[in-house]
Amino acid sequence: MKKHSTGARLSSSDDTLGAALRRQGVSRRSFLKFCAATASMMALPPTMVPAIAKALESAKRPSVIWLSFQECTGCTESLTRAHTATVESLIFDSISLDYHHTLQAAAGHGAEAAREEAMKENFGKYLLVVDGSIPVADPGYSTIAGISNLDMLMDTAKGAAAIIPVGTCAAYGGIPHADPNPTGAVSVADLIKDKPIINVPGCPPIPVVITGVLTHFLTFGTLPELDDLGRPRAFYGQSIHDRCYRRPFYDKGQFAETFDDEGAKKGWCLYKLGCKGPTSYNACATTKWNDGTSFPIEAGHPCLGCSEPEFWDGGGFYKALSIPTTEVARDALYAGAAAVAAGSALGMMNRARSKQAKSEHEKVSVDDLQKED
Amino acid sequence: MSTKLEQAVHALKEQIDAPVASFLSSCVHCGMCAQACLFHTETGDPKYTPILKVEPLRRVWQQEYTFWGRMKKMFGLAKPITDEFLAEWEELVYDSCTMCGRCSMVCPVGNDITYMIRKTREGMAVSGHVPDGLVGATTRAVTIGSPMGVKFVALEAQIRHVEKDYGYKVPVDVEGADYLCMLSSMEIMNFPEYIGAIAKIFDHADVSWTLSSKAFEATNSGIQIGVSDIAAELVQRIVSEAERLKVKCVISPECGHAYTAIRWEGPNLAGKKFGFKVRHILEVLDELRQEGRLKTEGMKDNRLTYHDPCQIGRRGGVLEQPRNLINMVASDFVEMPDAGKMNWCCGAGGGVSTNERADEIRLKSFQRKKEQLEAVQAETLVSACSNCRIHIEDGLEAYHMDIPVISLTETLAEHLVDKE
Repeated sequence: MKKHSTGARLSSSDDTLGAALRRQGVSRRSFLKFCAATASMMALPPTMVPAIAKALESAKRPSVIWLSFQECTGCTESLTRAHTATVESLIFDSISLDYHHTLQAAAGHGAEAAREEAMKENFGKYLLVVDGSIPVADPGYSTIAGISNLDMLMDTAKGAAAIIPVGTCAAYGGIPHADPNPTGAVSVADLIKDKPIINVPGCPPIPVVITGVLTHFLTFGTLPELDDLGRPRAFYGQSIHDRCYRRPFYDKGQFAETFDDEGAKKGWCLYKLGCKGPTSYNACATTKWNDGTSFPIEAGHPCLGCSEPEFWDGGGFYKALSIPTTEVARDALYAGAAAVAAGSALGMMNRARSKQAKSEHEKVSVDDLQKED
Repeated sequence: MSTKLEQAVHALKEQIDAPVASFLSSCVHCGMCAQACLFHTETGDPKYTPILKVEPLRRVWQQEYTFWGRMKKMFGLAKPITDEFLAEWEELVYDSCTMCGRCSMVCPVGNDITYMIRKTREGMAVSGHVPDGLVGATTRAVTIGSPMGVKFVALEAQIRHVEKDYGYKVPVDVEGADYLCMLSSMEIMNFPEYIGAIAKIFDHADVSWTLSSKAFEATNSGIQIGVSDIAAELVQRIVSEAERLKVKCVISPECGHAYTAIRWEGPNLAGKKFGFKVRHILEVLDELRQEGRLKTEGMKDNRLTYHDPCQIGRRGGVLEQPRNLINMVASDFVEMPDAGKMNWCCGAGGGVSTNERADEIRLKSFQRKKEQLEAVQAETLVSACSNCRIHIEDGLEAYHMDIPVISLTETLAEHLVDKE
């Protein structure tokens, strides 16, 4: 992965993406396949594939500055995952990643100089990727080269075309933000209001999501459609539950009660074991992880809901979202019977009222039609 | 004696039955009834949405018969039923509704909105928020015997003219006749030709018939204003006469709501099953045609179209008969768009024509009829309701159109072959 050796700069930004990809040995065929896959994943019509291909071919590799704050580097690990040389990862390689302190060779003043240079050169055009939350209670909790995270974010954000908070920490505060939040951690969107922000949450997020967002930006020059939590709808539009392969068991009421019971062995629904699938919106159940191998539920573990705000404070990973405390069928029967009784009581009452109204009828004659004075 | 407002609320409470409760609970607020209503389509004003017109009834239902509605009322959160509120609704309930029934036809959940407007009028009528014209007509109907104040002496005079002009006898109070023929005041005063036509046709077909000196008026202002007690009294006059004269069938004249009143609401109002049949004149004429008792000659060759009166066609089901009869005497009969059971109302039924305040909106709503007529380039318009006829003539004049409006019964009479 870390093939870059150009000192302060990871790669030259003069190349087009097409040229860079060909230099890395990506065939036209697999490139087009990637374009088609991206189009379908983002729910774009197939007619957009050539447009994506053309845009990517000729796009000047965008300058990207990556800032890491209060984070665990899991997001970087996820996104630079190089199990095979996929086109996604090559695209990722082929952006002009001008500053990323985990990946870059330069250190100290050299590294900061690279960031400042990239900012100056591409002012107003670079993409800013952020992972990790920002401590605002005491800036001393996290600093880089003596600059507080807050100052660095605000300074770097000024010239950004758009900001992509990657991972739940950057998007919603994540684990540092969890109760009691000693560092006063906040998300990027809590601090920056005047720039387009595309949240790519997840702990960590799925790699293809970030390449998808980049592709969209390069192809259309605009940001993808976002949901109310600032996430691209193409990837976060559906709940894990709605796309879960264990959904039929949920519908039939077949649940694993413990991790080692018959239900668990038979692969039944993990809802009662605390699965947050019904309230979590992400693409795990469709794109899966590790080159499409599986995703947590497929591995037998309930979804933690890591792409949702406050997921760490959701009341326990193994606590079911809500479970009836009594026998449902029996209670439903009682409730039904009570409803029928109440309904017929109300009906009888209404009938009595109506009957009484009729019995109190005073005959109307033409005299009654005259207006009151 | 309670105040008029209390009486109104009580009357509405009385009117609410199982159908009303289910209709009001099932309304999905889709607004399709608005598109079916002449007064909405021609003005574009959403306040004319039919279901909104039943708001007084809906409020009473909600506050008296639903759990949450009663809770709200108890805590003073319900919208109150006040005199001002009813005054505001008077125009919606009376001026801009002809009870034509088109809204009930399109409701996707099957709500009979017209049925509810009819019931809403029961409350409005006793509240005092009712057009003066309708109060006058109803008072005359009850005290004099006709909404236009026509007494039997006036009818007698017309009968003398008709007998002289047409040369046929007009039987009155003949016991044991098969048919008791009813009339509307409109026919007596404006279209006495109808009486002549009936006399001619029945003579031609050898039908035994009679008029009654005690009950000749078929119209029923009680139905229009919305007072069942008065409607029942007016219906009872006809029933008593039909029984006294021992007729087999009562014929409703070329009038829309008269047919609804006597045939559909009649037995319910009188509280018993009639011992005689009730037919519309077009039904009787079509039966005669089927039996081969009508011989006609000559055809009208100008482009002729038929306006279905709402109460006779849509609400009454008399749709084929007029067409069978027209085809006997017209060679170029064309149907207007939406003709038949979805025909557009002329705009003057349900008491609107009796209410002078509604003149402006009545003529505005005529635009729809105008468009229908223009679509088929009609040269003559035939109908079977004197009220439609008067209003359509009025509308044609207002829009500077020159199309004669004729009665189907009269047209048929003109084409009968002379008896040997």
